[in-house]
Amino acid sequence: MNEEKDIDNALRAYGERIRFKRRLAKIQAGIDMNAMRQEAENYSSQVESSSQIRMLWQTYRTTLAVAASVALITTFGSIFLYRSYQQGHQQQEQQYSLLSKELQAVKTSQRQLLNDINGRSRGLRINPAQVAGSGFLLTADGYFVTNNHIVREADSVYVQSTKGEIYKARIVYADQAHDVAVLQLCDDSAFRTLPPVPYSFDARPSDLGERVYTLGYPREEIVYGEGYLSSGTGYRGDSTAYQVAIGVNPGNSGGPLLDEKGNVVGMISGKQTTSEGVSFAIKTNYLLQALSSIPSDSLKGLPIRLNRKNTLTELSRKQQIKRMQDYVYQVKVFKHKE
Amino acid sequence: MKESRQPVLTDEELLTGLADGSDDALTQLYRRYFPMVLHFVTTNSGNEDDAKDIYQEALIVLYEKVRSGSLELHCQLKTYLYSISRRLWLKQLTQRSRFMVRDVETPASDELAMEQLNDDLADHEERDRQFTLMADSLDRLGEPCRTLLEDFYIQHLSMQDITEKFGYTNADNAKTQKYKCLMRLKRLFFSEYKS
Repeated sequence: MNEEKDIDNALRAYGERIRFKRRLAKIQAGIDMNAMRQEAENYSSQVESSSQIRMLWQTYRTTLAVAASVALITTFGSIFLYRSYQQGHQQQEQQYSLLSKELQAVKTSQRQLLNDINGRSRGLRINPAQVAGSGFLLTADGYFVTNNHIVREADSVYVQSTKGEIYKARIVYADQAHDVAVLQLCDDSAFRTLPPVPYSFDARPSDLGERVYTLGYPREEIVYGEGYLSSGTGYRGDSTAYQVAIGVNPGNSGGPLLDEKGNVVGMISGKQTTSEGVSFAIKTNYLLQALSSIPSDSLKGLPIRLNRKNTLTELSRKQQIKRMQDYVYQVKVFKHKE
Repeated sequence: MKESRQPVLTDEELLTGLADGSDDALTQLYRRYFPMVLHFVTTNSGNEDDAKDIYQEALIVLYEKVRSGSLELHCQLKTYLYSISRRLWLKQLTQRSRFMVRDVETPASDELAMEQLNDDLADHEERDRQFTLMADSLDRLGEPCRTLLEDFYIQHLSMQDITEKFGYTNADNAKTQKYKCLMRLKRLFFSEYKS
């Protein structure tokens, strides 16, 4: 019954199509083919150019999409990598802080300056120094060493002893590469030759784990700090420096680094800000190299004769410090303010 | 001249006319979009006869959809006809192992329209199969059954005309004869169709 209906429907559709085909054929027969061809020609001129491009686009759009995304990823990837590298680099640069102290904020402590014979501290009080650090005498007759970054671009440099005596200093030599500056105090008539320096200079490389100590001026008073040598190279593998595990602060820069026997093995120069107790000291070897490269005419006929006799060796640490502190000075630097 | 006298019908009116079996509407529709398909087929390695066949097949697809009331247009009529013709022609080209065509018009590309196109063409293929099979079955049916059925279903002759033409005694007799023929055709048709 169902199939009867189906065959009836199928036949009807069949008939319908045949009739429709006949109608189409009739229309086709009555059509002016020339007019149609003409229209088809016009058609071509309308869309040809755009269709060609469109066809190319349709054919290659997947390839294009892939290529474009690869290009995008590569571009942004490299920018990202470059940026992250740069940032990492910057951070590392910032990790190293020079330990010279900006003194703008310490006016109050300036008032507590000790007795002042020459009345110079008044001048300092009125016009406080801008940068301060430490330094120590190389010879009893007034050659003095500190970090170059402290005295760089200085208008005038003063040094102040633990007793509060202030001397003007002349920069004899500056070695930017090793961050060493040599000053001379004997220019100042007030400076009198001291007893020979008690420490000697040891140019040989020191061993890891060597107990070391330093004296410096992170504040107006002299401050003692001790630690040990933790690496034979400095910041980022700098072979001219040691890494020292010692607590230092801004102002300690330029302070001497001594071993247990009282030999100067280096000079404090900076620390790594990202980690506690990672400080750096310039090796004595490079200190001496700097000294030997000073042109003789800038010494004005006063050659630097380093002390070879160490008088601290047998003393206890407390005695050593007592003898030492007269030779460690605070360095105050005045710069021209813009 | 005949054309200019007729009002230009919109696509909507053309479709309604097509459904009602209006000759005017069909003629106008035929003329309106034939140049497009003609241009498409002739620029894609076909001749005018190919274009005519393709276009007429496309119109059959449209017509049968309209007649069954199942046409859903998700794009312009022009785009629909172009897309159908394009597919049909591509199919032919594939049989001639050529796979690229140069478009002269934008084929339907949004998802809904594509889906509809696929459905319509699948329907069409099915009908095509039925159509060929039916023609085949009718051929094998033999006379007078074949002519009788063709007269009734294609020529739309009434039972009365048929009674006279075939010399039956009355219309009931003709109906019985038609029924028998239909049953024979049914067997022929479905034995093939279902296998």
